[in-house]
Amino acid sequence: MESEIVARPSASAAKLSLDSNETITCEVGAMIAMSTGFSVQTSASKRGGSGLWAGMKRMVAGENFFLNHFTATRPDQTLYLGPVLSGDIVHRRLAGETLIVQGSSWLASGPGVELDTTFQGLGNALFSGESMFWIRCSGHGDLFLNSFGAIYEVNVEESHVVDSGHIVAFDSSLQFSTGKLGDSWLQTFLSGEGLVCHFRGQGKLYCQSHSPPSFGKLLGPMLRAR
Amino acid sequence: MSPLDFDILERPDFAMLRVRLAHGQQLFAEPAALAAMDPTIDLKAGFQGGVLGSVGRMFAGENLILNTYTAARGGGELLLAPGPAGDVVHYSLRGGSLLLQRGAYLANGVGVEVSAKWAGARGFFSGTGLILLRAQGAGELFFNAYGAVLELDVAGEYMVDTGYVVAFEDTLEYQVTTLPGLGLGGRAKSFFFGGEGLVVRFSGQGRVWVQTRAINPFLSWVYPYRPQKKRD
Amino acid sequence: MESEIRSRPAFANILVRLTQGDAIVAESDAMASMSSSITLRTRWSGGFLGALLRRVFGGESLFVNEFSTSSRGELVLTQPFPGDIECVELKGQTLYLQAGAFVACEPTVELGVGYAGLSSFIAREGLFRLKLSGRGRVWMGAYGGILSKDIEGEYVVDSSHLVAYEPTVQLKLGLAGSLLTSLLSREGLVMRLRGPGRIYLQTRSIEGLASFVNGYL
Repeated sequence: MESEIVARPSASAAKLSLDSNETITCEVGAMIAMSTGFSVQTSASKRGGSGLWAGMKRMVAGENFFLNHFTATRPDQTLYLGPVLSGDIVHRRLAGETLIVQGSSWLASGPGVELDTTFQGLGNALFSGESMFWIRCSGHGDLFLNSFGAIYEVNVEESHVVDSGHIVAFDSSLQFSTGKLGDSWLQTFLSGEGLVCHFRGQGKLYCQSHSPPSFGKLLGPMLRAR
Repeated sequence: MSPLDFDILERPDFAMLRVRLAHGQQLFAEPAALAAMDPTIDLKAGFQGGVLGSVGRMFAGENLILNTYTAARGGGELLLAPGPAGDVVHYSLRGGSLLLQRGAYLANGVGVEVSAKWAGARGFFSGTGLILLRAQGAGELFFNAYGAVLELDVAGEYMVDTGYVVAFEDTLEYQVTTLPGLGLGGRAKSFFFGGEGLVVRFSGQGRVWVQTRAINPFLSWVYPYRPQKKRD
Repeated sequence: MESEIRSRPAFANILVRLTQGDAIVAESDAMASMSSSITLRTRWSGGFLGALLRRVFGGESLFVNEFSTSSRGELVLTQPFPGDIECVELKGQTLYLQAGAFVACEPTVELGVGYAGLSSFIAREGLFRLKLSGRGRVWMGAYGGILSKDIEGEYVVDSSHLVAYEPTVQLKLGLAGSLLTSLLSREGLVMRLRGPGRIYLQTRSIEGLASFVNGYL
């Protein structure tokens, strides 16, 4: 499978070229356009419940993970995929290592990449109604991540602090803890910072320049009530 | 009739249309798009006697409400900005027709007629969340996208999710269908905002403008941040 | 103190390299990521009364942070919405900023609150505007791209697109056409500006985005 990231860097889309029998998995709704030689299967990632229908009944952001598996039935098929928010896409080829990916930052992956959505390490931190979830990605193959904003990498050498809304993914070798910014809870409350993540160890950290919860909290109140 | 003097600034992320109208020249535009203008330009709001509907609740077959800008007291500059972050595309109509999504319409010069009432407007697309306008005539047309614009030249067949269709040449045949494989039949629609899961199947020869972001997934994402109605 | 505005214009963010003695003042949730060696001190902005007034009448959040370090470190500052950030160096002059446009400044810049007049309030821009004066760098942000324009006579601007302006520019509230025209055209209120002076416009507006999204709800 060949891939190209087009329309960079702010409205990036992944242009994938698949040959017969090649497969790519992405979230339902990510497909922008495609040639007609594909068969599509839908599945739900089990997160405390089984089956597609059970998954649909729990329509809370982050709890359901509906996947489309696109398999080319003819040679030379193209598929364009895009995420929800404005921003960029990065392509990473896993070769046996493990990456912990923030749920809304996962765009697509190839069949050799195992997705574990039951990863609880950071807890289900709730940010104004949006619950975050994490996907443990391991194995061999293509992995596509998206960001709200620009993606930048930090090579952690000892420690680094990241506001939780800005995390895209990180090497599983890094140790992390969530906490407050500054020395006291009062400082956190006054300074307006949300939860931050302290990373320790050595490894790569993918960050995004903009935070979906910050944008949501600003725009949300200006919209019609639900 | 002098040609329209325009340029598109800040492409492709937050594109804006800048038009320098000559004395007496006119431009028609989406009412919410005005950003700035010279005081020599007159603004007249289009008033069709109909209900001031909002974009999403507009039905196929309704009239389109437009603003008319006239450089009445001398030449002047007009800056128009669409609502969503994205690109602006210019298209020169020369007798043919272009079909465009309602939310994509930005502006047009004299000689172009844009209408929501055209044969086939109703029925075919109702319930899909896709309201199409038809632009025809000879003159300049400007449309905008949410995100970047990909120009795809179809020769054969191609499928585009309804939320990502910006515009297409009417030389193409088009049909709305469900994405194969979702396998949930009608139940799927009630769980997603608008027409997710629906695709337009294009066939024949012609150009399709596709945007790389769509409003429905964005509405689903922003849902938890919206204020809640108080229950009485 | 080194700084660099990256990812312009769609996702501008500021990469700051601090060493001992450097400090930068930034909006409350502007920190995206930073070295562990950087600490922050919360301070009231624009004086207690100014901060309280802004809180009551909307606009900037109540607190700003001062980031500094006792050794060295890196800090990435951003804004809640996509768009550009521009750096303006003040050399004694004053600049007025609309609510939401402030991203960061050097501690030598005086942050104050100015009364923007009733017209500004009616135009939904808030009763107060931020007044920045003194010497030092100021980073302002916008939703969309930032265009600067030097105006001489009159200029008409949709109020939600105005980001910053020099004090020599006078603001007068106006209607786009007649009252009926304004209501129907959905333009509503515009600002009639009179120069001379420099103005900064943003190519999109959060209000415009909200209207666009509300049209689908």
